[in-house]
Amino acid sequence: MKKGGIPKFVIYALLIACCSIPLFFKIPIPNKPSEPSVDFYKTLSALKEGDVVLVGSDWTGSTRGESKGHMKAILRTLMRKKVKFVIWSTADPQAPRAALDVIAEVNAERVANKEEKYQRWTQWVSAGYYPNSDVAINSVAQDIKTAFGARRENDTTGVQQPLFKSPVMEKIKSVTDFDLVIDVTASKTTDFHVQFISAKNVPLMFAVTGVMGPETQVFYNSKQIKGFLSGLKGVFDMEQMMEKGVNVKDANGVAAVSSDRVPGEIAPLPGVSVGQGTKYYPTLHVALLLMIVMIGIGNYEMLAARKRQGGKA
Amino acid sequence: MKPEQIETYRTVAAAAGVLATLGLFSVLYKENKFYRLFEHIFLGLAAGWSAVAVWTESLREIWWDKLTGVVETTGVVTEPGRWAYILLIPIGAMGYMVFSKKHNWMAKIPMGVLLGIWSGQQIQSYWTVYGPQMKQGMLPIVPTAFDQVIARSDRTPELAAVTITWSQAISNFLFVFTLLSVLSYFLFSFEVKNKALKQVNVAGRYLLMIGFGAIFGSTVMMRFSLVIDRMYFIWDEFLMKRVLHIG
Repeated sequence: MKKGGIPKFVIYALLIACCSIPLFFKIPIPNKPSEPSVDFYKTLSALKEGDVVLVGSDWTGSTRGESKGHMKAILRTLMRKKVKFVIWSTADPQAPRAALDVIAEVNAERVANKEEKYQRWTQWVSAGYYPNSDVAINSVAQDIKTAFGARRENDTTGVQQPLFKSPVMEKIKSVTDFDLVIDVTASKTTDFHVQFISAKNVPLMFAVTGVMGPETQVFYNSKQIKGFLSGLKGVFDMEQMMEKGVNVKDANGVAAVSSDRVPGEIAPLPGVSVGQGTKYYPTLHVALLLMIVMIGIGNYEMLAARKRQGGKA
Repeated sequence: MKPEQIETYRTVAAAAGVLATLGLFSVLYKENKFYRLFEHIFLGLAAGWSAVAVWTESLREIWWDKLTGVVETTGVVTEPGRWAYILLIPIGAMGYMVFSKKHNWMAKIPMGVLLGIWSGQQIQSYWTVYGPQMKQGMLPIVPTAFDQVIARSDRTPELAAVTITWSQAISNFLFVFTLLSVLSYFLFSFEVKNKALKQVNVAGRYLLMIGFGAIFGSTVMMRFSLVIDRMYFIWDEFLMKRVLHIG
């Protein structure tokens, strides 16, 4: 039951406290968005009304802590810029449900803020789930008309129609007709997107879990992707840039969020921007502090135990 | 469903979620029956959900509708059925022959097709993935802007593309050294007599360990994010919003 001198339940009680209490306080955290995050937001901000984006939703409840924040921030931005989007999934049969739930949440938020509800069929569509990620992504890259050809959605009158009759798919004849491809993922679908989609010279970006951050950095450094969001830091970066804009100076000439990767400035997005990232990120710092303290205590205990046994410290 | 019924349903669903979270986390303290119960419920739900989702989200439209055709409610046939799609059943079923000692050779046919497709894809995609990475690995390590230690804030993107400051050159050198030493560590895995090469291999090993450390750090942060999310679900989404109706 005991690890060193601290009982196990005390460690877990401390962990729960550190992961819970900070959630109820507004703790300001100084932050400089990472370069991939800035490039991600810069690319999103450059989209115009009427552009069409293919959004891969390849995450489920198991990575909700990070991926839901990514998805929400991306969808909030796309909806406010009136960019049309197509949602699809290849990694897990539960993934489409997770995406639809987030769209419903963002839509409810928009209605509460007296913004227009984002309409399925005219402004967004779901192309559903395709098993076997590599084959599915390859087929979308090679021939999207065939890959999505069998899909049907309810139109505004409730009649089932082929997906390609939707106004969202009006200009889509191949994957190169998308203005941007984004994959929010907790799995290896990033590799398949690079293999098949980047070969078509379509702008590509990822929102990945913290574990996948280092490997995704390779794709960013070699310019195979335009930008990426990594873990909770990525969510926090996005929310900060959406809320405060980039290089937008206040009355004292100080920008709350600045980056030399953005020529000029990107104005803040109107509406609700902060959420999961802003709540979780300070809490993560407290939890990490606990871990550092525990590592310190653990090492001290180990050295003390050695000394007690007569060995060298 | 009436709105209040929907709300009640959502509260019950959230309460079930809280119970499941507590049940699954209870294993951290020690192995117990409460954990086992929720583990089995979770596995059952995931399997059941996947089976239904594969049909509704995938097979029905991609395979069944193509086989049987699509008829509108008005009676108009919009897609004629194509009987050849029925042939996918025996091909798929052959995969299950792996469980038969007598007929397991049949399983090798669909497996062979899948492996062939995968191999073909890999040949096609190899250069797409690694070509740009190899190109980007060849970074200049000699500075061109000798008067600048770090990049001037007023330089244009065009100028930035052609000038290498001292700090960039050092950064690039570290990158190239890491790349070569790690490659050397894997290439010269046999006994190396050359002292310099030996040292480079050792450096490669240490640099790899630094890389793994960074990945492990990210992993720890991700796991914390998941715990924080569950705590948020229990305290805020369930207790504050659903039970106490605050916020």
